[in-house]
Amino acid sequence: MKVMITGATGYIGSCLTHQALKCGYDVIMASRQKPSIFSAQWLPFDLSSDKSVALPAGIDAVVHLAANTTSLNLLGEECEVIAARRLIKSSQEVGARFIFISSQTARPDAPTAYGRIKWRIEQEVLSADGWVIRPGQVYGGELRGLFGMLVETVRHLPILPAFLPAPKVQPIHVDDLAEGLLRVAKQVDVSPGVYCLAASAPVSFSTFLNEIAQSRLRCWRGFIPVPIVAINALALVLGNSLQTRLGFERLRSLFDLPIMETASNLKDLGLTLRPLHSGMHPSGNDRRRCLLQEGRALLTYVLKKPPSSTVLRRYVHVAEQMRAGRVLALPKLFLSYPIFLSLLDESVWPDKTMGEEFSWRLDAATMLAEANPFGAYRFLGLPRKHGILSSLLSMTNAVLCEVFWRILRVIFFPLIRLTLGRAKCIV
Amino acid sequence: MNTNFDVIIVGSGPAGVSAAFPLLEAGLRVLMVDGGKQPDVLTPEADFLSARSNDTDQWKWMLGEDFHTLKMRDAVSPKLRAPTHHYVFDNFAAKNYIESENFIAIGSLAKGGLSNAWGCGVARLSSEELDEYPFRKEDIERSYETVTRRIGVSGANADDLSDYFGLDAWSQPPIPMDELHQRMIECYSLAKKKGLAVDGFRLGRSRVAVLSRDLDGRKACDLSGNCLWGCHRKSMYSSSDELSFLSKYENFYYQSGLIVKNISKNYSGVSIEGMQGQGCKVFLAKRVILAAGTLATTRLALDALKLDAKVRLQCCPTAAFLLWLPRMLGAQRVNSFGLGQLSFSLKLTDGISAFGSTFSTLGIPVSEFVRHMPLRRRFSVDLLRQLLSSCVVGNMFLPGSLSSTEASLDADGALKIKGGYSNSVNSLMSEATSRLRKSYWKIGALLLPKSFTKAQPGGDIHYSSTLPMRPRPIIGETDANGELVGLSGVHVVDGACLPSLTEKSHTLTIMANADRIGRILAMQMTGKFSK
Repeated sequence: MKVMITGATGYIGSCLTHQALKCGYDVIMASRQKPSIFSAQWLPFDLSSDKSVALPAGIDAVVHLAANTTSLNLLGEECEVIAARRLIKSSQEVGARFIFISSQTARPDAPTAYGRIKWRIEQEVLSADGWVIRPGQVYGGELRGLFGMLVETVRHLPILPAFLPAPKVQPIHVDDLAEGLLRVAKQVDVSPGVYCLAASAPVSFSTFLNEIAQSRLRCWRGFIPVPIVAINALALVLGNSLQTRLGFERLRSLFDLPIMETASNLKDLGLTLRPLHSGMHPSGNDRRRCLLQEGRALLTYVLKKPPSSTVLRRYVHVAEQMRAGRVLALPKLFLSYPIFLSLLDESVWPDKTMGEEFSWRLDAATMLAEANPFGAYRFLGLPRKHGILSSLLSMTNAVLCEVFWRILRVIFFPLIRLTLGRAKCIV
Repeated sequence: MNTNFDVIIVGSGPAGVSAAFPLLEAGLRVLMVDGGKQPDVLTPEADFLSARSNDTDQWKWMLGEDFHTLKMRDAVSPKLRAPTHHYVFDNFAAKNYIESENFIAIGSLAKGGLSNAWGCGVARLSSEELDEYPFRKEDIERSYETVTRRIGVSGANADDLSDYFGLDAWSQPPIPMDELHQRMIECYSLAKKKGLAVDGFRLGRSRVAVLSRDLDGRKACDLSGNCLWGCHRKSMYSSSDELSFLSKYENFYYQSGLIVKNISKNYSGVSIEGMQGQGCKVFLAKRVILAAGTLATTRLALDALKLDAKVRLQCCPTAAFLLWLPRMLGAQRVNSFGLGQLSFSLKLTDGISAFGSTFSTLGIPVSEFVRHMPLRRRFSVDLLRQLLSSCVVGNMFLPGSLSSTEASLDADGALKIKGGYSNSVNSLMSEATSRLRKSYWKIGALLLPKSFTKAQPGGDIHYSSTLPMRPRPIIGETDANGELVGLSGVHVVDGACLPSLTEKSHTLTIMANADRIGRILAMQMTGKFSK
């Protein structure tokens, strides 16, 4: 499979190139400058050039990502459209699929030139039986593009605006988007048309910023309410050119983002998006962090004190090697207060396999907890001699604790079931 | 193809090695082949408690770097979970084409076979028990002595089980007991004096193939408590340690890592065919001795005989239990011998008796007990850290005649084993429980309620009698020399040829019988008596 990617050095482009190469694709990178990081074939490509690009034969798909993303319109609206038109023609000549990455803001009357250009190119692509992809709010991976800017903003501002009424965004992790693009390029049963790729449930923009703060930057940020009316009023005062220069235009396009219906498109491509909190983690996945939390809870429960980091890491290795890295999604209460795990046993889980999985992991935690010097102390009662009386008291205590937690379990059974009912092993 | 061997021995376990010595002494050219697997996880060098308190890498031998213990979570015994023994059991059933149903099929492709991971229990069959054997009792007597002296057995002392084991004349003194067992035997003698002991319950030192005195380069037990994991002093007998002695004979040849697939008879002798690495190898000899372990031997024999009948497999119904000595509550953890310290013999109805031993709980991970507790993990650990230092674990075996397990070849040549016990086992088990409870209570030990657990058929790993020696054998049986009817020149010397399986540990009998057959063959093949 041979794919040409324009804008291959950009935020999405570099991620897509990386993923395509990893899947064993033959990639041709088309960009202004010769990229140094990938060892793929390079083809000079410039949106402002007035010459057609001669595509090498045998290309199966062209992914058109190159765009002018700066707010200053240096190229002129026409230039990008013409470049796209030429590229569509060249693709048709070699019989390659043409895939164009548009935007959620694309519409004929968009407030930004960006949105209007995207709309015009979309029309060209659709009339040539091409594919149009409208991604939502792209995030994750390297700190580049709009996402990079947002992260830097959150990093530098201790207080962030919470716009009112709250604008909604539909996030998609850049890796998930790249995967979606590759599927469009590869799968024959995906018919031409517009594909909206983003989380089907919108989240408020403040939630998105807060997730950046918490999961990506691991910091706390305060929010102050800012009415959108006030921004609009300010924009009027500033006038058009200053608006563009200060990035107000971009901000205002955020306020009137249309909600996209994405569920059916995601289903068409068989694409499952990672949850926001997971994707926002610097590694692009918070599975490991969840496993660490789970391991810490289970091991603390058995050991009666937090485990050493080596034992904890060993638990994560076990989960990754033997349980395919799946996380047993324990409700937060159990993660924060491991003693409450005394309420759980195999039969309390509404789902039988989850109950078995819980037992397995608790067994694993018990064995891991035992096999180290502290475990020897905890499990064997080393090094001291205990004496009949103190042993008897400790044993009675253990039995009483058991009885106590059993009674609590009976009382709170419906509540525990309800909480656990929502928990699922996540991949 | 090599044709100049007198005898090929399949398997380097206790049976194969025991048969090899007399043949080599007689000057016969002997080829031994085995699966050749060797240990890949080091056993701790320090004593158990030091290793547990100080060794930060203890997880490597307790769980394994590949988390072997967790992979084997559902296996029947802690031994099968120990990473240090992984190589012993690894891949046995698959490579030997053995499938089982309601039966725990265990075997070994290791150098030294299952003796690398055995409980070291030894006993001699009494003259009544030998009634079923189709040879003169004196014939095996001498072999019992030879083997006992060769492998080193400890536990000799005059107690109530001296006659039962019958090995004291050739054995080393016993290995010191821990405090709990000492207390139990003292209480037992006291109860007996007062006439309080339960009728039919006899208690004595376990006789085990573990050294209390150095022997042939192996060192005496130093009570380091690592018995479950493996003894770096080699105090416990493993036939793999005897291969170096076999190798001293110039007429000994050894092919390691060769798994025999089939044997066949041809004009000039018997040939074996097997896989060594990727290649197929064939060897030819005048005679072949099967000592691959009961299951593998049975498959090879049935396959060579083209016999599609069902054969009966004997194995001992077995159970485990936990005894608590309330007076010892709070005792300090001390390193101690990890195999059987005291053994019992218990008479049940219909002339059936049970046999078993008790062990220290120390070397066994506490997690193994936590699994079986009706408490939450956290509180189980709380309870057991106090309780276990005053507990001992016990096992019990019933005679193999009570098993109704059957084995047969399927269309693909695999050995299918269908496990089962006769109906009387359940009632015998309950009788044994209540009688053991009473007997132990008299000597100050409480059999903990619900701790008595019966194992699935095969859990004892005492398999035998699929190709029994008979005075007038028919096809699928063997004669007094272990020679298969219908396949002359092929002798069975492992558990498969025992005519019956008592409740006693059977390994020493297998070895003595293999030695006996080895002597007979040496005599027949050289035409003279061996030394």
